[in-house]
Amino acid sequence: MAAASSFNATHEAITVRYNSVDHAYAEQRDIRLLGFVLFLISDVVIFSAFIFAYLYLRNSVPNWPPITKGGHQLPRFDVAYAAINSTILFGSGATMHSAMESWKRLDKPAFNLWLLATIVLGIAFLGGQGYEYHSAQVTWAGSTMGASFFTLTGLHGFHVFIGIIYLCVLYLQANRGVYTGSKYFGLTAGTLYWHFVDVIWVALFFLFYLW
Amino acid sequence: MAVAAHAGFIGGDTHDHIHPEPQGFIRKYVFSLDAKVIGIQYMVAAFLFFLISGLLAEVVRTQLLVPRGAILSNDTYNGVYSLHGSSMVWMVIIPLMTGAFGNFVMPLQIGARDVAFPWLNLLSFWLFPVSAVILFSSFLIGAPDAGWTEYPPISVQGPAGTSLWCIAIFLIGISSTMTGLNFMVTIVKMRAPGMTFTRMPLFVWASLATALLNMVATAALSAATAALFMERQFNVPFYDPTRGGSPLLWQHMFWFYSHPAVYIMILPGFGIVSEVFPTFARKPIFGYKMIAFSSIAIALLGFMVWAHHMFTSGMAPWLALPFMILTMVIAVPTGIKIFSWLATLWGGKIHFHPAMLFSLGFIATFTFGGITGVFLSSVPFDYDAHGTYFIVAHIHYVLFGGSVFALYSGLYYWWPKITGRMMSNTLGVWHFWLTFLAFNVTFLPMHLLGLWGMPRRVAQYQLHPEFQFWNDVASVGSYVLALSTLILIYNMVQSLLRGRRAPGNPWNARTLEWMTTSPPPYYNFRTIPAVLKNPYNFGEPLPYIGLDEAESAGSTHPPAGSSPLPAHA
Amino acid sequence: MEGATGVTASIEKSIAFVFAIVVGGTTSFQLAKDWKSTGLDNQVTKLLLGLMAFGCILVILAAVGVLGGV
Repeated sequence: MAAASSFNATHEAITVRYNSVDHAYAEQRDIRLLGFVLFLISDVVIFSAFIFAYLYLRNSVPNWPPITKGGHQLPRFDVAYAAINSTILFGSGATMHSAMESWKRLDKPAFNLWLLATIVLGIAFLGGQGYEYHSAQVTWAGSTMGASFFTLTGLHGFHVFIGIIYLCVLYLQANRGVYTGSKYFGLTAGTLYWHFVDVIWVALFFLFYLW
Repeated sequence: MAVAAHAGFIGGDTHDHIHPEPQGFIRKYVFSLDAKVIGIQYMVAAFLFFLISGLLAEVVRTQLLVPRGAILSNDTYNGVYSLHGSSMVWMVIIPLMTGAFGNFVMPLQIGARDVAFPWLNLLSFWLFPVSAVILFSSFLIGAPDAGWTEYPPISVQGPAGTSLWCIAIFLIGISSTMTGLNFMVTIVKMRAPGMTFTRMPLFVWASLATALLNMVATAALSAATAALFMERQFNVPFYDPTRGGSPLLWQHMFWFYSHPAVYIMILPGFGIVSEVFPTFARKPIFGYKMIAFSSIAIALLGFMVWAHHMFTSGMAPWLALPFMILTMVIAVPTGIKIFSWLATLWGGKIHFHPAMLFSLGFIATFTFGGITGVFLSSVPFDYDAHGTYFIVAHIHYVLFGGSVFALYSGLYYWWPKITGRMMSNTLGVWHFWLTFLAFNVTFLPMHLLGLWGMPRRVAQYQLHPEFQFWNDVASVGSYVLALSTLILIYNMVQSLLRGRRAPGNPWNARTLEWMTTSPPPYYNFRTIPAVLKNPYNFGEPLPYIGLDEAESAGSTHPPAGSSPLPAHA
Repeated sequence: MEGATGVTASIEKSIAFVFAIVVGGTTSFQLAKDWKSTGLDNQVTKLLLGLMAFGCILVILAAVGVLGGV
């Protein structure tokens, strides 16, 4: 073991990275941010696996929408309706981004407004999705098209649902003073998560409605 | 980190996290957040499941003693081998590789106090025994009977327990994903100062590659089992060909996970033997960077070879060629490792400690299994051998002769660190030779049986009584294999009861986990040491500064810094 | 679910078109504003915002009848 003084000098040179609590926070934040991004990646894999299943099933029959045993072709999904619903969800992404921007410039009223708008748009999207399920002419267990559609959009809807609860919690926490102008990892994570569910919808919208 | 106290630090006012150690039994041993305790929990639980699944294997071997099947009905037999396979893969080898050794050793080796997300680690662990109990309880309502791969349509129509299989595998899949994520962040973000990527111990490199596989591939398994569950319980058509589904879809999704899973089961083993060889040959590891990067190469290539399990399944024939070539390519980074280990041994001062013996046995049997793997990657040979005992022999050479030998090696290597007690070397040597011989007696004949055409997963072989001799040889070998495990158990028990106290570094090894007491204190290192070089340069001074002398000398007094100080948010 | 007929579909598509222009424009503007930001969270945010803008383009293409077949 080296003599104490030279040890101290070298050790300090190599190890002293943080000299305030804020730096300790920053370290924790980086760790959690990476963890959260990796979580989103593993979630992308789950969606990708189901999307692969959909593409595989779609590719293994000559016609799509598939033809039932009775001989009639299943209807396509309604593009125009889904297009409106999609813009509602994408719009909620934009409002969420605005909420985050407001928080960063310490504009709390604007933050509250944008966050509430995001929650309302999210609920509107889920409502629209519910209406579409209600009026759907295919069923989950009825055909491979229904199976992949309801499984994927259902999984996505579940993510939106969790996201809405998450945003509500963030709203309450932000107004109880849990986050500050420099420490707001929860909001960052919430924003990333919400953008993520929006982007998953881009893929689903294309795969089920446009193609 | 809810409660993170700041330890005063010799070198200056750096902010380091030492959590106060919980004192209650529940928080200390049952729902512990300490990666070391969680590692031991994984080890104990998985060893228990290892014994159970091993007994299932003995039942299988006993059934095959005579051509008409000795003890079981065909249906029960199907359940027994299905659960043997499922449980050995998901409840034994993967938890031992990542959960047990990964949790105990990896944070110590990178000089961290814990993993990045201790709560997530706790959750990962507790999903594991829960899913194992669900898996084994499927015996009560009709065990899954389509093998560990559970191919539809048989699994869709299978007994009620198949749904429990789906739940269990889904849960253990989630647990694996979370562990992978946790380890990835830990290794990327929490290494000791000065420990660059090329100064990491090779077990950490292997854990990193494994974490990548766990994180990305396992999610596909979760999706596949969820779909199978939906099909069984809610009649949702994914796999049933009569309703537009495709059984091949399952095979693609299952193998997209399960081929990387064989690397999840072997890469940490590569890491273990890469630690054992330099230590017991007293020589720097040969080709450090090549071994490290080949782990990553194997992980990445591992994603591109899954369909070599499906050459005979009716998949599009043009796919066979690229998958065959990629599968052969993956033997290259594996070969790089094997030759690097051999070069490490070359001219070394070899100590035949049980850990070393198991690592040497690992090279022999794993290489053998790897070579039969290269056979099988060739499409024409696979047409012949697919679904025969040749496959059974191959998988046991790589999973038992590979993974389990590496795990035994790691157990003998890290046992003093984990328990603070030494094991008996004599018993360890007996354990090795008995295991090694019995292993080969059990599984070598299966190559012959397979080439003669004995199909796997059959409860009887009455049309071919000539298969009986080698089946009986295999069964006798398997009984000896079971007995050899008793030696290990006796060795562990006597070590715990009256084993010699282990010093901090009984093997004069050089990686960081040996630079603290045995067993390590709750906080691992009183001060996190700084790292100057990679750890394998035997003959040079240790490449660390800031090691606590009291700790390396084996003091058990808690340092002043471990007392809980005011927390920050 | 079955494509609404005639007038309803046209109205829906017009609404979707307008919404998509607004949202896509906003998102693109936000993306442009953040373009030079650094850090893992901002990089991921930019990627996701870009994909969302792409989603708006898909909606526009669907509204004008280029995509979506019917």
